[in-house]
Amino acid sequence: MLLFAKMLRVGLVSVPIGPPAPGEEDVVHLVREVDAESRRLFGRALAIREVDAGSCNGCEIEIAGLTGPVYDSERFGIHFVASPRHADLLLVTGPVTRNMEVPLRKTYEATPAPKLVVAVGDCARTCGVFQGSYAVVGSVDRVVPVDVFVDGCPPEPAQILRGILTALRRPLRA
Amino acid sequence: MAATLLAVMVGAYGAGAAAALLGGGHPAGRALSTAGAVAGAGAGLLLGSQVLAGGPVWTFAAPDVVGLAGGILLRLDALGAFFLVLVGMVAAPAALYGVGYSTQYAGRYSLRGLGAALNLFLLATSLVPLADNVVTFLLAWEGMSLASYFLVLTDHDEPETVGAGNWYLGMTQVGLAFLLAAFLGLGAAAPSLDFADLRVAAAGSTGAARGAVFALALVGFGSKAGLIPLHVWLPRAHPAAPSHVSALMSGVMIKLGVYGLLRVGLDLLGGGPPWWGVLLIVLGAGSAVLGVLYALMEDDIKRLLAYSSVENVGMIILGVGAGFLFQALAMPGPAALALAAALYHTLNHAAFKGLLFLAAGSVLHATGTRNMNRHGGLIRRLPWTGPCFLLGAVAIAGLPPLNGFFSEWLLFQSLLPGIGVSSPVVAVLMVLALGMLALTAGLAASAFAKAFGITFLALPRSAGAAEAHESPLSMRVGMVGLAAACVGLALGALPVLATTGAVAAGLLGPSAEPPTFALGLSFRTPAGLARMSPAAVIVGLVGGVALTWLVVRALASRRPLRFADTWGCGRVGQSPRMEYTATAYAEPLRRVFSAVYRPTEDVTVDHHPESRYFVQSIAYRASILPWFERYLYEPLLAWVARGGRRALALQSGSVHAYLAYVVGALVILLGVLMVTGAP
Repeated sequence: MLLFAKMLRVGLVSVPIGPPAPGEEDVVHLVREVDAESRRLFGRALAIREVDAGSCNGCEIEIAGLTGPVYDSERFGIHFVASPRHADLLLVTGPVTRNMEVPLRKTYEATPAPKLVVAVGDCARTCGVFQGSYAVVGSVDRVVPVDVFVDGCPPEPAQILRGILTALRRPLRA
Repeated sequence: MAATLLAVMVGAYGAGAAAALLGGGHPAGRALSTAGAVAGAGAGLLLGSQVLAGGPVWTFAAPDVVGLAGGILLRLDALGAFFLVLVGMVAAPAALYGVGYSTQYAGRYSLRGLGAALNLFLLATSLVPLADNVVTFLLAWEGMSLASYFLVLTDHDEPETVGAGNWYLGMTQVGLAFLLAAFLGLGAAAPSLDFADLRVAAAGSTGAARGAVFALALVGFGSKAGLIPLHVWLPRAHPAAPSHVSALMSGVMIKLGVYGLLRVGLDLLGGGPPWWGVLLIVLGAGSAVLGVLYALMEDDIKRLLAYSSVENVGMIILGVGAGFLFQALAMPGPAALALAAALYHTLNHAAFKGLLFLAAGSVLHATGTRNMNRHGGLIRRLPWTGPCFLLGAVAIAGLPPLNGFFSEWLLFQSLLPGIGVSSPVVAVLMVLALGMLALTAGLAASAFAKAFGITFLALPRSAGAAEAHESPLSMRVGMVGLAAACVGLALGALPVLATTGAVAAGLLGPSAEPPTFALGLSFRTPAGLARMSPAAVIVGLVGGVALTWLVVRALASRRPLRFADTWGCGRVGQSPRMEYTATAYAEPLRRVFSAVYRPTEDVTVDHHPESRYFVQSIAYRASILPWFERYLYEPLLAWVARGGRRALALQSGSVHAYLAYVVGALVILLGVLMVTGAP
C-alpha cells in the first residue's frame, strides 16, 4: 500500500529524452552509431560483459560512467550482462594477474561466437605500473585475442565508446 | 465363473498371508507370499474386467458369518468392478517390487508380519468395492485401515515412523467414526443395513437428513482420500511406509475414499441439491492448489509425492463435484462426462503415482536417503529407475502424449458447460475452478521438473548418490509394469473412456446416457462439449520435436560446433556444491506465494576466530508455516488433551467413588424411565 501511495504522490519524475544538451551532441551521436553498428552486426542491441582482470578499478569507474545519467548508454541498447553466455563483447580491464588468467580464458571460451574483445586502459596493453610484478602474467592479448585497445589511464567513457565502435567496424574473426 | 474368480482371489490372498506367517523369513515362504498377492491381484483384475466388459452384476451372500449384524453380502456392479480393476492393476506390480525392496528389512524387522499384513491389506482393499451391506463394508474398510497401519509401522525403530503411524491411525479412526454415524443415519429408517434397503430408505428421507448423511460421509471418506484439511496424515505416513506400500496406499487406498463418496453420494443417496456439488468443487479445488503448492516446497521426495497425491485427489474430487452439481442442475450429459473424466483420472493417477512411489523407493534403496538435496546424477547410475521416474513425472505433470494429459484435459473441458448455466454463482464458481485447475496443472509440471531434475540430473551431491547401484530385477519388473500401464492407459484412452463413461452413466441412474467418445482417435461428445484428438496431439508433438531437431541440425551444420565447460563464474574446478538444489529450485515460488507459505529463513555464518573474512561454516534453514497443523490440529489436540486431564479426576482409584458412580448412573436411568414411562 505504501508503494501505491508513493506512486500517487510522487508521480512521474523521469524526463523524456529531449534534444542533446550543448557539449553532449558528440556522445549521443557516438552511442547512436554504436547501436546502429550492433544492429547491423548482431541484428539486435549490444550485450557487454565486463571482466576485471586485475585493474586498480580506475577503468571500472569510467565504465560505470557509461551507465550513469550523463551517458546512460542503456537507453541506446548498450547493456551490461551478468554472464558471458549472454554477451557479444568482452570489456577487459587491467593487467592480467595470475589469479585471473584462467577465469579470463574461461570467460572468453564461455562467450558464444561471434564475439569481440575490447581491452580498456593502459594497463591492459602495457601492464602500466604493475609491469614486472610477480603477480602479473602480462597484457590482455597474451591471454585472449584482443580486437581493440583503448588507451588512457583511465580512458574517458567517450573513448571507451569509440573503442567499442572501432571493434564493431572491424571485420569479424571466424 | 465369477464365484470361482472370487474364491481364487480370496484364497490366494489368504494363502499368501498364511505362507508369509509360516515361512516369511525363508525365501520360499516369501516367494509363496508374493505369488499369493500377485495371483489374488490377477484374479481381482479379471473379475472386475469381466463385469466391466458387460458381464452380469454378480452377488454373493453368507448371511450366517456375522449373522447378528446382517451377514456378509457381496455384490459387484460396474462401479465396484472399476475400483477392483484399479486395485489389481497396482497391487500386482507393487507386490513383485516388494520382493526386492523388503530384503533391506531382513534381520531388522519381521518379514513375516510385512508379508502377511500386505496380503491382508490387499484382500481387505479388494473387498471394499465388493461390499453390499454396511457390516461388510465397515469390516473391509477397517481391515484395510488397520493392515495399512501395521504396514506403515514396518520401520518402527524410527521415532518418526511411530509418530506418522499415530497421525494415520488417528485420522483413519476419526474418519471411521464419521462413517459409522453416516451409515447409522442412513439406516435409521431402513429395515436392514443392506445397501439395497438403504437406497430405498434414502429416497424417502428428508433433505436435511440426506444432507447430514452426505456431510458425515464426506468427512469420513475425505479423511481417507486426503482432502484438505484432512490430508495431514499423507505427508507423514507415505514417507514412513515401505515404498511399495506407499504406492499401494497412495495409488489405491486413497482412491477408495473417492469410491465411498461416489457409492454413498450418488448410488445410495442418489445425488442431492447443488450445494453438495459446490462443496465438493470448493474442497477439490482447494486441495488441488494447496497440495501442489506444498509439494513444490518439499525436499523429501516421498513427501513431495504424498502432497502431489493430495493435489490429484483434489482434481478428482473437483470432477466428481462437477458431476454432482450437473446432476442437481438436470444436466445429465455434462454430469456423465465430468464423472467419466474423474474416474479416468483416478485410474491414471493410480498408475503413475504407483510408478513414481516405486521409482522413489528405488532411489531410496540405492542412495539411502529421501532428501533430494543429497541425490543428483542418478540417471546414469540407475538406468531403469531414471527413465521410469521420468515417464511417471511426464504423465503426472499432464504433458502429452501420456495418460495424465488426456484425463486432465478432459476434466478441464468437462467443467466448461458449467459456465453457461443460468445461476451466476455456479457460473462464477466454474470459472474459478477452471482457473484453479489450470494453475494446478502448471505448478504440478514445475514440481515434477524439480523432482526429476534435482534427483536424476547433474552430479551426485552425496557419497550415497555417487555409489548408487540399480535395484534388483523384481523391483525393476514392478516399475516397468506400472510404466507400461501408464503407456497403455494413454494408447487405450478411447476404450477406457468408454468404460468409465458407462460406469458414470450407471451411477447417474437408468435414464442417463453414457457420453460417447467418437472413433477416429478423437474425443468428441455429441453436444460438442469436449473436443480433443489424441492422435493430432501426438502427431503434432512428434512433428514439432522432429522439426526442431531438423532446424537445429541445419543451423548447426553451417556453424562450427564448439564444446565448452558449463559456465561456473570462471572458477577452476566445478563441484556439485555449485548445483541447483531442491530448496534453491523452489525459492522463486516460495517468494511468489509467500502469502500462503509465510516463509522464515535463518542463516547462521560461523567466522574464523581471527578474521571475519574467513568463513568456517554457513547454516541455512528455511521453513514454511504449517497452517493446518498450527491453527487446526494443534488447538484441537490441546483441547482434547485438556479434556482428558480433567476427566482423569473421575478416575480416583477409590472403590467407593466407583460404587457411587454406579449408583448414580442407576438412579439417573431409573429416573429417566419413570419420566418417560417406558417399560
